[in-house]
Amino acid sequence: MQKKEITFTLNGKKVWVEVKPYEKLLDVLRDKLGVKSPKYGCGRGECGACSVLLDGKAIRSCIVYAIEVDGHDVITVEGLQANGLTDLQKSFLAHNSFQCGFCAPGMIIQATELLNENPHPDEEEIREYIAGNLCRCTGYNPIVEAIMDVAKKK
Amino acid sequence: MKELELKYVGHEAVRLDGLEKITGTAKYVDDIDLGPATLYVSILRSPYAHAIIKKIDTSKAEALDGVYAVVTGKDFPYRYGLYLKDNYVFPLDRVRYVGQHVAAVVAATQEIADEAVKLIEIEYEPLPVIQDPLVAIKEDAPLIHPDLGNYEVVPWLYPQPGTNIAHVRKIRKGNVEEAFKEADFILEDWYVVPHVVHAPIETHVSAALYTPDGRLTMWNSSQSPHTQRNIIARSFKMKHKDIRVIAPYVGGGFGGKAGVNMEVVAAACALKVPGHPVKIRYTRKEEFYDTSMRQELHAYIKMGVKKDGTIVALKHQLYWDVGASAEYGSNVVNATGFSAIGPYRIPNVWIDSFAIYTNRPPCGAYRGFGYSEFHFGLESHMDRVAKALGMDPVEFRKKNAIQEGDTVAYGVEMGPTGILKCIDEVAKAIEWGKPSEPPKEPHKVRAKGFAAVWKAPAMPANESSAAFIKFSEDGSINILVSGMELGQGFLTAMAKIAAEELSLPLEKIRVELPDTDRNPYEWQTVASHVTWSCGNAVRRAAIDAREQILDVISRAYYIEKSNLYLEDGKVKCYTKPDFEVPFESFVIDGVQMPDGTYRGGPILGRGSFMPEFTSAKVNPETGQGGHPNVHYTTGAGAVEIEIDTETGRIRVLRMAEAFDAGKAINPDIVKQQITGGFVQGLGTALWEEVKFAEDGRILNPNFTDYKIPTALDVPREMHPIIVEVPQPDGPFGARGIAEHTMIPVMPAVANAVENALGVRIKNPPVTAEKIIKALKEKTV
Amino acid sequence: MKTFEYFKPTTVEEAFGLLKQFGAQAKILAGGTDVAVMIDDGMLTPDYVIDVKGLSSLKGIEVRENYLWIGALTTFSEVIHSDLVKKHFPVLFEASKTVASVGVRNRATLVGNICSAVPSADSAPTLLVLNALVEVKGDTDRLVPIKEFFTGPRKTVLGVSELVTGVRIPLETRKFGANYIKLGRYDGEDLAQVGVATFVSEDLEYRVSFGAVAPTPVRAYEVEEFLKGKELSDALVEQAIPIALKSISPISDVRASKEYRMHVSGVLFKRSLKASFERLRGQGPAYGTNLV
Repeated sequence: MQKKEITFTLNGKKVWVEVKPYEKLLDVLRDKLGVKSPKYGCGRGECGACSVLLDGKAIRSCIVYAIEVDGHDVITVEGLQANGLTDLQKSFLAHNSFQCGFCAPGMIIQATELLNENPHPDEEEIREYIAGNLCRCTGYNPIVEAIMDVAKKK
Repeated sequence: MKELELKYVGHEAVRLDGLEKITGTAKYVDDIDLGPATLYVSILRSPYAHAIIKKIDTSKAEALDGVYAVVTGKDFPYRYGLYLKDNYVFPLDRVRYVGQHVAAVVAATQEIADEAVKLIEIEYEPLPVIQDPLVAIKEDAPLIHPDLGNYEVVPWLYPQPGTNIAHVRKIRKGNVEEAFKEADFILEDWYVVPHVVHAPIETHVSAALYTPDGRLTMWNSSQSPHTQRNIIARSFKMKHKDIRVIAPYVGGGFGGKAGVNMEVVAAACALKVPGHPVKIRYTRKEEFYDTSMRQELHAYIKMGVKKDGTIVALKHQLYWDVGASAEYGSNVVNATGFSAIGPYRIPNVWIDSFAIYTNRPPCGAYRGFGYSEFHFGLESHMDRVAKALGMDPVEFRKKNAIQEGDTVAYGVEMGPTGILKCIDEVAKAIEWGKPSEPPKEPHKVRAKGFAAVWKAPAMPANESSAAFIKFSEDGSINILVSGMELGQGFLTAMAKIAAEELSLPLEKIRVELPDTDRNPYEWQTVASHVTWSCGNAVRRAAIDAREQILDVISRAYYIEKSNLYLEDGKVKCYTKPDFEVPFESFVIDGVQMPDGTYRGGPILGRGSFMPEFTSAKVNPETGQGGHPNVHYTTGAGAVEIEIDTETGRIRVLRMAEAFDAGKAINPDIVKQQITGGFVQGLGTALWEEVKFAEDGRILNPNFTDYKIPTALDVPREMHPIIVEVPQPDGPFGARGIAEHTMIPVMPAVANAVENALGVRIKNPPVTAEKIIKALKEKTV
Repeated sequence: MKTFEYFKPTTVEEAFGLLKQFGAQAKILAGGTDVAVMIDDGMLTPDYVIDVKGLSSLKGIEVRENYLWIGALTTFSEVIHSDLVKKHFPVLFEASKTVASVGVRNRATLVGNICSAVPSADSAPTLLVLNALVEVKGDTDRLVPIKEFFTGPRKTVLGVSELVTGVRIPLETRKFGANYIKLGRYDGEDLAQVGVATFVSEDLEYRVSFGAVAPTPVRAYEVEEFLKGKELSDALVEQAIPIALKSISPISDVRASKEYRMHVSGVLFKRSLKASFERLRGQGPAYGTNLV
């Protein structure tokens, strides 16, 4: 059985991990590297709960093989908050944006990418960006409002 | 405690679990590492919707290197069920739905487990497949549970042996036949509501470890840790003290994680491999096939009214497709049987609510517990009757709205209710009566639709909650309860209730997630009842702690207890303004007396709550004579929609919903339950439907083809409104609203469609395709 | 679970060599948003996966000679953010925005979309009305017109060891307007139940393409012929609809019935054609506006 030791930057630090080619990035992050924030929701890239930043872009880690990120840069919520909560996280907290919280890490990752690309999106652009992140609890508006608050600043 | 003095209850606060959740530190079952001894499970599932199992040969699977155990029905020949024991850990002799788990392999790696499962040989003899409850209920229908007569069942459910009817609840109030004769107008029709799924973003996950000392520990994504322990103990013939269920955060429940489900599979696997943890994380596809879904309902409604708009009679026959098991779903049928009159005063009522087995996946608890389904037909019917009478649909509802003191379907008096205020507030927010702004495009039409609803918690008469409050040296408290935080704000609500009684700021309060070894009993976190029931238990525990605090300070300082009060984590005295003793100085350490001795010791609050006025003892033929429900919560909802008449696509522009929460402990979280529940309801109103093939397979077991709303699909304008007519026996007047917020949506949308286009859709979801089809049929 | 071996070639020659070696047992992996799901579902069972993301000659969007070149590794997000695409073919920007969600578009490639060859592929109708050409590397390299590329549901002309290196869209010297509309069940992420792309040039050459309503994405030549040279009017569009619908043969499936697809195809054809014509005239809705 083919195995490879890959190395990549995870939340700012280099990591080394042995993977089989067909192991998904989501499972390697969670089961081999102890990074639990990205979640399994569907396994088909349709719910966004597994989202992480790969070279700065939000991707669905449940449909990316870990071996593909060899030499690349991965950031999860754990990395975003390494120096304290981000403005986005503070806004989510203040707005009580999340209920069960399962979609939260994916939403934070996707909204982070949005605000990095465009610091002042309008409401529709926010909705489009997070349209691939399913939430069954909130009806989305508290999440959108929290992102709007950050978008209005600066 | 006077309204005006509330310092925590009713005020906004940051959720207790907020920080955990936005930092990704909140732990769900799959986040728990169980160590290197963990083994992997693969499940073999039935390809048939209905078949006899003639033979199972696991020898080849067992022989594969790395396989530790193969589990089949004969290893655990126990039936289990919450209300009706019709479910097996693994089926012994018969499979009843496509995807039913038939066997499991436990192995050293996932690859080996997956390989081994393919080596299990099962010989099936297919049987006729029944998917239509109206076929299943016929006399000559093949029996799906031929053994129904031998199943253990709670005394208040009535299975009909020799049929596919797992239960029937009847209401006979007054005399409908006579009343129909007196009616000026009668409308009768059928409505069909399909199966939908909960689709929590976290699938079911269960981990279990059985250790050689005879203890089974489980980590379950569960709304019901104590009930799970109870069912597993009784089914597996183990002692309660030998089973520990730990329930970390749940990534969405909606009723789907109530009762016991795939957890029995994890438990069974663990029992076969002592010393090795096993974890089963359901795939999204398994979540569709083999958890529980919402029943399908075929409802016949006949309503008779006077020309002045008074409803005089209602005949409501509900035929529920409960799927392959009615162990939980039988209560949905029961609860709706008692309540399918909606929030109205109706003197003559005939209800038959049938739980009918079919070869579809088991149907259990789903947010609303059957009420969304029956309100679809009933609230559609209300609009149609109003129109026939020439009455405004909102006025028609107000005229018949149930009031305190009116009798409900089973003869008990209605409690205090703000339904009229809810209806008025919603009508105001949606600007009922004012036509919509005409859309720019000529092929678009706009209209509004309305619905009024109610629901009571559907619970055994002796449901109960209990709470401990323990203090720490710094004056902070841990509240131990077994109610579950599903996202609905349970932890924060309990904290606020305790905060109010102890006058302790929220930063000093933790609420602990359930662990059946340590946290006291909670029946289940379902039924929109934990704010009320567990809230009462927590309140009693806080009052108990307060009494102990006042007692020890009174004794230590020789002050009359009635002169003492609590404020901001300190004990103060009305007669001595300078007197203050902070909690931290004595809640563990006691108060030191001048002579060096101490008074007091650890403060420990205890509270237990069980309603003592409910009874399920009713006349089986009439439903009268008992008191099956604790109280009803009422509400109303409305939508303004825009329909593209060329594509059929519907968008909701605006929504308003109002519910009588009695007292909103966390107002913004209550409003979020309204908006969140609305959106889940919107999914079922416009897009969600489980589709089955002829052979019983699910055609859309994924998010590709089972569409749940995204951020682009929700109305941009939402009006969540809280009405507060206090619930006399609720903590600070509170009653539950969390399920209710889904209920108005399907009928409000269908009513809006009729208002817009003059077509009546009697079968949700109201898809674009159905609109086009209806428009074409209308012009033909 | 499906197990496989993984290779990441650094040159196109190396990639091609691996494909020749493993033939039908190999599968190319670019974005993976389709391939990974198909492997999990058991619809694809490769023993060898060849990751082509290291092939730098497949990256980029450039104007070359007389065409816009989109490298095989270009993601839909890159198409959306490309100034060259917005300048030359904003309709491709419009079509790319309808694909899945941002997180998927950051990974999914346009070339991967056409290679998956699902009838509902969102890039296909637009590429068809732009007369795109597919660069194929094989024993002999060839250029396949997009209208010949699709042969059936999930089937293309690609041989078992061939790979696509890029797509060429001939630059237009004429003024033109174009549009892509997709019907989903709602505004969120969905596969097209019907997709329509149209193109009108200033000399009134019309091109029409439908997706999701035939075994492959198709051009509707009959209606193109009918419209040729004529100024668009409401009356003309009404006459054109039934002719356009002759080019399609929708089926009923879990997403929609054939009757509904047929009906909506007519509706979207009308809207798309009008939008393209208005855009030709310098008016019409901004590219990226949802017309459903």
